[in-house]
Parts: sequence; structure tokens; C-alpha cells
Amino acid sequence: MKLQNMFKKTSRKSYISLKESKPEVPEGLLRKCNKCGAAIIAEDVKQGFYICPKCHGYFRVHAYRRIEMLTDEGSFEEWDRGMTTKNPLDFKGYEEKIEALQEKTNLEEAIVTGKASIEGMPVVIGVCDGRFLMASMGEAVGEKIVRAVERATEEKLPVIIFACSGGARMQEGIVSLMQMAKTSAALKRHSDAGQLYISVLTDPTTGGVTASFAMLGDVILAEPHALIGFAGPRVIEQTIGEKLPKGFQRSEFLLEHGFIDRIVERENMRQELAEILRLHCNTERVLRTPDEQQVHTELEEKVKKVRSAWDRIQISRRKDRPVGSNYIENLFESFMEFHGDRCFKDDKAITGGIAYFKGMPVTVIAQAKGRTTKENIERNFGMPSPDGYRKALRLMKQAEKFGRPVICFVDTPGAFCGLEAEERGQGEAIARNLFEMSGMRTPILSIVIGEGGSGGALAMAVADEVWMLENSVYSILSPEGFSSILWKDSKRASEAAEVMRLTADDLLHLQIIERVIPEPEHYTTENLNNVCDVLEQQIRDFLEKYTAISESDLIEKRYGRFRRM
Amino acid sequence: MIEKVLIANRGEIAVRIIRACREMGIETVAVYSEADREALHTQLADEAICIGPAPSTESYLSMERIISATLVSGADAIHPGFGFLSENSKFAELCEQCNITFIGPESKVIRKMGNKQEARNTMVAAGVPVIPGSTEPIYDAKTGAVTAEEIGYPVIVKAALGGGGKGMRVAEKPEDFENSFNTAQKEAQMAFGDGTMYIEHFVQHPRHIEFQILADKHGNVIHLGERDCSVQRNHQKMIEESPSIALSEEMRKKMGDAAVKAAKAADYTNAGTIEFLLEKSGNFYFMEMNTRIQVEHPVTEWVTGIDLIKEQIRIADGRKLSYSQEDVKITGHAIECRINAENPKKNFRPSPGMITDMYLPGGKGVRIDAAIYSGYTVTPYYDSMLAKLIVHAGSRKEAIRKMRSALGEIIIEGIETNVDYQYEILHHPDFESGDIDIEFIEKM
Repeated sequence: MKLQNMFKKTSRKSYISLKESKPEVPEGLLRKCNKCGAAIIAEDVKQGFYICPKCHGYFRVHAYRRIEMLTDEGSFEEWDRGMTTKNPLDFKGYEEKIEALQEKTNLEEAIVTGKASIEGMPVVIGVCDGRFLMASMGEAVGEKIVRAVERATEEKLPVIIFACSGGARMQEGIVSLMQMAKTSAALKRHSDAGQLYISVLTDPTTGGVTASFAMLGDVILAEPHALIGFAGPRVIEQTIGEKLPKGFQRSEFLLEHGFIDRIVERENMRQELAEILRLHCNTERVLRTPDEQQVHTELEEKVKKVRSAWDRIQISRRKDRPVGSNYIENLFESFMEFHGDRCFKDDKAITGGIAYFKGMPVTVIAQAKGRTTKENIERNFGMPSPDGYRKALRLMKQAEKFGRPVICFVDTPGAFCGLEAEERGQGEAIARNLFEMSGMRTPILSIVIGEGGSGGALAMAVADEVWMLENSVYSILSPEGFSSILWKDSKRASEAAEVMRLTADDLLHLQIIERVIPEPEHYTTENLNNVCDVLEQQIRDFLEKYTAISESDLIEKRYGRFRRM
Repeated sequence: MIEKVLIANRGEIAVRIIRACREMGIETVAVYSEADREALHTQLADEAICIGPAPSTESYLSMERIISATLVSGADAIHPGFGFLSENSKFAELCEQCNITFIGPESKVIRKMGNKQEARNTMVAAGVPVIPGSTEPIYDAKTGAVTAEEIGYPVIVKAALGGGGKGMRVAEKPEDFENSFNTAQKEAQMAFGDGTMYIEHFVQHPRHIEFQILADKHGNVIHLGERDCSVQRNHQKMIEESPSIALSEEMRKKMGDAAVKAAKAADYTNAGTIEFLLEKSGNFYFMEMNTRIQVEHPVTEWVTGIDLIKEQIRIADGRKLSYSQEDVKITGHAIECRINAENPKKNFRPSPGMITDMYLPGGKGVRIDAAIYSGYTVTPYYDSMLAKLIVHAGSRKEAIRKMRSALGEIIIEGIETNVDYQYEILHHPDFESGDIDIEFIEKM
């Protein structure tokens, strides 16, 4: 039965009600989300980090509100107030426009700079405000940034800049263009002085700002779904005559393409910034004293098992063998992953970032096989692309700049053999790592935890010491490849394995490595702790020893290590 | 004067409110989700506004949309019904800010009574009995034993971080205490890694007794007697009756006075319910206050002859109560059975689908509050309650017989319902004798 229009209704009142006050929404109680169009309660938005409670879209945040949200209460001290543009091109109507905007927004220019503290740590902070000519960069913005950065360099303070900009300011023409060079130059000096710069990209960061200070951070963070790009999407569409794919030039796209380290939700921004600052403030390189005498596992005392090389190869490839991420979780605290090579891609076959080892900030880089088939496909079965090696090198360089030791976990069948890998220079990427790692002014430790496949492994093992797990292998090539090249028969792999001298014991004997770490009988994540307990003690000893060596001695020693081979 | 009411709800309660408004000459506006286009409340109201897709978070729970619908329709008041936004203090506050009459208490009262600790404190301050318990965390059996003595046996030891029955032990008498405490603490330590404990009086085999309150904006508060809602499954009430067989006239007065005191302490206005746990010993404890109309309000309506929805609207309009406490007379006995679209044989799994045919009983002393009709499709999105069957007779015995007869007549084809299950309960000897507590269904 359909009920449409079946019922009789209450007859409408014929008179007009003479009430004094009709229901109405008071001004400012509700607002509209410009992403999903929903009406939302303004207070909810304000209390909820300016995020739409309906669609989780991000509203743009005014500069002073942003500073309030990020910094310790009352800690902000503004610098260079009153600095405005002098209209260098005498552009008609520009000054009036600026005045009107100043009146409307209560801002003097498109960026607010100054000093503040985040969880007690002092920083120099700059925040762009999109209400002011889309936070385009003219001479005043450029000047304020440069002054803030210069002062930060001088006072040895980290810099955080929240970018949000349409790019260069058209009304200031070539002078605006020069701000790109000016800000970049100031940041170069800041970096050369060994100081930290964190760039945070918010919606939208485009044009000349992307092509200068926004992309120069030691660490680059971005808010979710922010538009980030050099040329605007409309310009690109007009130029190439094609529709752009969904998500193009958004934060997630940039992360995938290796240009930003992390995407950080607005509600976590303060915490993440504080964590990064903490990791960089701590430059003492001191290890926490051990809590109590570690109970040494019986592993070491056990008589080494006699196994054939081929057996060990099989063990090193076992599906249930712990992978890089297991070691990161087990041995380190507060691991913060940093993504991307800043060139082309974020290669998931290599995971890297900063973490604490017993209170000391270290850079950890691991070749990362997956724990499941799905994860393995995502991580390309631990076979890195050139982008992975470039990411590793980028992170090592950063470690060198901030004096952090580097710990690498090697576990790869080999560098990825593929069309794209060759196109982007697999050989060059590996070579570059060997080249740069040899002269790195910070201790490097490499631990082979599974397969040490050829150049792909060596590109993360030009280290002060190389250790191997008892059943890991490290070789010029897989025994399958070896037998097919030498004997034209890949079926003789097990035979090849025996003559290749690729087991940990063999390599220790050949003085290719420094140490063999014993393993339990059947090594899985279940008994990972047994191995990690040993590793923990050994890494501690390594760090104590090598952080005490001078930079020049360190490099000399590392050079000598390979020179004698 | 309230001239037009928007009903921010669906199902039978929306229909119930529309009918009351119509009888009072007030225009009605229904709001509905896309899944409720064919629903009875949508069709019955003078106007209906679609407020979003089926999920209630995007329709019946969307405050902004409901406020917008109110302004667009020109309604001057909102009746929230029960569930959805009815006990949302923020929604009530929004209505206040937008100059819309919220048919219910003030937002600050909802907020206060919605906070368990604050509600408890309010009651303690007003001298309404609450379940006695330790006010400080307890870490060892010795201190605990002293507290337990003060609270009175039996007591229950609970882990501060507890949940799922872990780290919980009952001590019937002082001799058992140390053992119970230590076992519970050990369990808590194992399960939550924390041995912080609390001790509470263990309420044994209680009945759920609630009192209906009416309070106007002029300081008048009355109670309309009790409802016995002890027949519950997983804290969901199934059958409610008034009066309760467990209450003597003297007890009724005592608990009723406490309920009025509680409502006054909370600065309560409009219709509300004070829930108590009643022990066999006659001790009763405040559980919580429901700051809205209840599902089971018809049983009270029938034994008192008072239309609660109309009273709600009158109170919201600022009028004085039409009744004093002396005017309230309990006559006869009323029972309500909730009819749900669920399958008792499959662990009461909801059973949506189209009602292909149906027959609902009637006759003297039989009332049905429902929003279903032949050809109506029960959606999977909302509560599974289809209808409430309420009967009224001179005595409990007669009412039970009437209910059995009425349940026996109900025919709902096309979906599974709990009608037969209710029919069985009505024939259970313990139900018949009234010897029940809140564990009755579990033990049945």
C-alpha cells in the first residue's frame, strides 16, 4: 500500500503570527564548509583545529591563530612589525590595495615572523596568511623571511616556516622574483651553519614559493590534501590540453613522488614538530646508561651449528624471518619515518628516518622486505630502485649534517632490475652511495640481517663496521645467477653456494665483516628478542667507540677498511 | 505560543508526537532521511523535509540540518523524541541560541545529568540514595576491608581500569573479603597491569524501578508513579508495567518523594525519568536520570490518564502544570510489550525487510503505538522497534491475560519479530507471579 497523500492534514492557520522574536540563527553560529558545502557549527570548527567535522576538509588558518595553535602560550614574540612594501615598480593602485587589505585583515603583510617556543624549545617561526593577496611573496615577505632566518642562524635556532602562497607577487614584478633567490640564499647559509629548517606546506603552496624557501627544508612536512606545485593546475591543463588526474599536485601525490617527508594531520602538528625539534636539539651523542645488567641470552655460548651454505641461503630467504621493520621497532624508540628522495619517488623498498637508540638520536635506514605478500608487492620484495638509494643517501647526508650516527639494515635479493630502474640510473645511484658514504663524517654501522645481494647491498654497507647475522648471506650475486654465468646452469645453485664463500663465517674469515651475530635455531619474530638483546649491547659498544673518534680519523679508518680489501 | 513543532525523530514516537500536536491544533513538520521517504511519520505530518541520507549521523543526528529545517519550515519548537539528539546538551543549547523552543529541559540540566559523576554528586547533595562506594582508590586488602565495612556487605571489588568482568569479585561477607580482593587485584594486575581497585556495595538481584517526573518552569514538580522495567535483555527493556507489584503504597511515596527531590536538585523542567535499582531489602539507589520522554511512557499515561506528550508541550510553552501531586491517581494496571523486528532464534539479529501483511489487535484497553503498515519496508539503518503494544485492565492478572490475548492476535508477515518470544514471557510462571529482577531474561 502506498501512503502518499492519503492522510488529511491540519488546516493551515489563516492568521499571521505576531511574535516578537522568530527563531533565527545568530550571526556567526553556523558557517559553511567550502569543501563539502555542509553547514557546520562555527565553534566546532574553531575547537577542532579548523577542520570540517563533516568531511575533514581543512580550512585555511589565519597566521596568528596558527601560531597560537602551535606554540607555547605567551611565548610568541613578533619580529619586524610594521614592515610593508615600498611599491618598487610604482604599480598603480597597489598601495591602495595594500592599505585596504591591512585594514580588512589587521595584518601588515602576508607573513608573520618571530620567535616562540614549542614544548619549551625555542624556534624562529614564520607563518604565511592567505588572506593577504594569497600570501604572495613580495619584497616585504622576502625581507621578513630573510631577516628571521639570518637572526636564527646567528642565534643558532631552528626555523619553521608555514608556507601558503600563490607564488611571487605580480605587482612587484622582477623584485618579487629576486625574493626567491634571496630567501634561498639565506637558507643556504643557515644550513651551512648546521642549523635546522623545517618547512610545512599548507594549502595552497605554489609558484615561486614552491620554487624557493618552501622546498628547501631539512624536513618538509605537509598538511593533508594541500595543493602543492610549481605551475598551477589550470596553467598545466591549458598548456598540455589534457585533464589532470584526481589528486594531482596534492600532498599525497608529492609524498608518493618523494618531495615531502611526511603528511601530518593538523591536530598532530604541534606534537610532531616538537618531536622533530627534540631529535635535533639532542646533539650530545650520549647513550642512556643501561637500566640493569642485561640478561644475556644463551645464544652466544651455544656451539655454532654446522650448516651448508645452501641451507643458510634457504634460511636467509625464509618468509617468517624478521625483516628490517622488526628491528626498527625492537631496537629503537620513537622512530619517525622520513620519505622520499626529493627527485622522483618514495621507494618503499627502503625505510628510513630518525629514532632514539638508548636516548641518542640516530638515523636508521633499512632495506625493507614485507611481512606479507601484499606488503612485499608494495615493497618490491626488498629490491630497491635508484630512488631508494637516493633517499638513503639523503637521510645519511642529513645525519652527517646534524652529527647523528647511521645504522643500516641490509636485506635485499639485489637492486631492482627493471626498465624504470635503468632509466633513472640504478648504477649511478649505487655508485654515488659508495662514493659519498666513504667520506661521511659520522659513524656508519651496517648489519646484514638476511640477504646481502651484491651492489644493492653494498650501497648501504660502506660502513665503519659490517656485521652479519649467523644465517645471513652476502655475495657478489645470487648462487643461481653465479652458476648460470659460470656454468651456464642455474640448477647448480647449491653447488655454487658452497664455493662462493658467502656465509657469515666465511666472510668473517675473509675479513670482509667484523662480527657474526648468533641466531636461535628457528629464527622468527617470536624469538627476535634474543637476537636484539645481543644486538643492543653490540650497537651500544659500537656507538660508544665510534662517536669518540674524531671525524678525520673516522674517515681515514673507513678508507683503510676498504683499501686493504 | 507554540504554533508549529518540528519533530526531530522518526518511527512510532514521531507519529505519537504528530498526533498529540494535531489534537492540540499545532502544525507539525516531520524530518526524514532518504530511507524514510515512505515512513509513516513522513506521510502523516503536515509538512516533511528530507534532511539527508540514511545513516543517522548524516540525518537524524545532524544538528545543523535539523536547525536549518526548523528555520526553513518556520517551526518555533523542536520535539526531540527519544534517542537521537534527545539527550544531546549541545543540540539543546543550539536551539536556545537560535530562539527555538526545545521541548525538554534546559541544555545545562541535560549536560549535568549526562555526566555520571556530576549526576551522582547532585544526588548525594540532595540526599537521594546512591550506591555506596569507595571515594578513594584502594590498593590493599586491609584498607579495603575497612571501607567495605563502612559500605556494607555484600560488596563488589572492581578494577579501576576494569572492563569485561575482569578484575571483579563479589564478597558476600567480611570473611570472604581478603580473598576476593586479592583475587580481583591479581586479575586486574594481569589484565590491565594496574592494581588500583574500587569497592562498591553489591546490589543483589535488583528490580529496575523508574519514576516519571513532570516539572514546569514555575517550580512545580510532581511524579506520576513508577514503572517496573525489570524485564530486560542486554540492558534493553522488553516489557514495562505500572504500577510495580514490588512497591507498597508506603514505598511508592518514599521513592516518589526521592524522585521529586532528585528532579528539584537538578533544576529539572519538562518530563523526565529517575531510574532506581530496588533491592529485595527495600533499599533503593539512584541510577541515572533520563532527561527526555521514555519509550514506555504510555503505561504511565494509562494508569494516570495524563497525556505526557501534551504536558511536555504545555510545559515548554511556559504553562503551569495542569495537575498537582494530589490529582495523580493510579488506576488499574498497564503493561507494555515492545515489538521488535528481530529474530530471537538467531540471537535477536535484526530482521529488516518488507511487511507483506499484517494485522494488529484492538478493542477495549488495547493500545498500539506503531509506525508500520502493510507494505512498509523496515530499514536496517535504525532501531529495530516496530511497535509498542500496551494494555490496561483493572488488575495485573487481568492485564496479563489481556496482553496474552492481544499478542496472540498480532500478525506481522514478511519479517521476523519477537512476538512469540514476548508471548512466552507472558506465560512464564515467574513473570506471572511477579517474582522477577533484572536478571530474569538471562535466567529464563
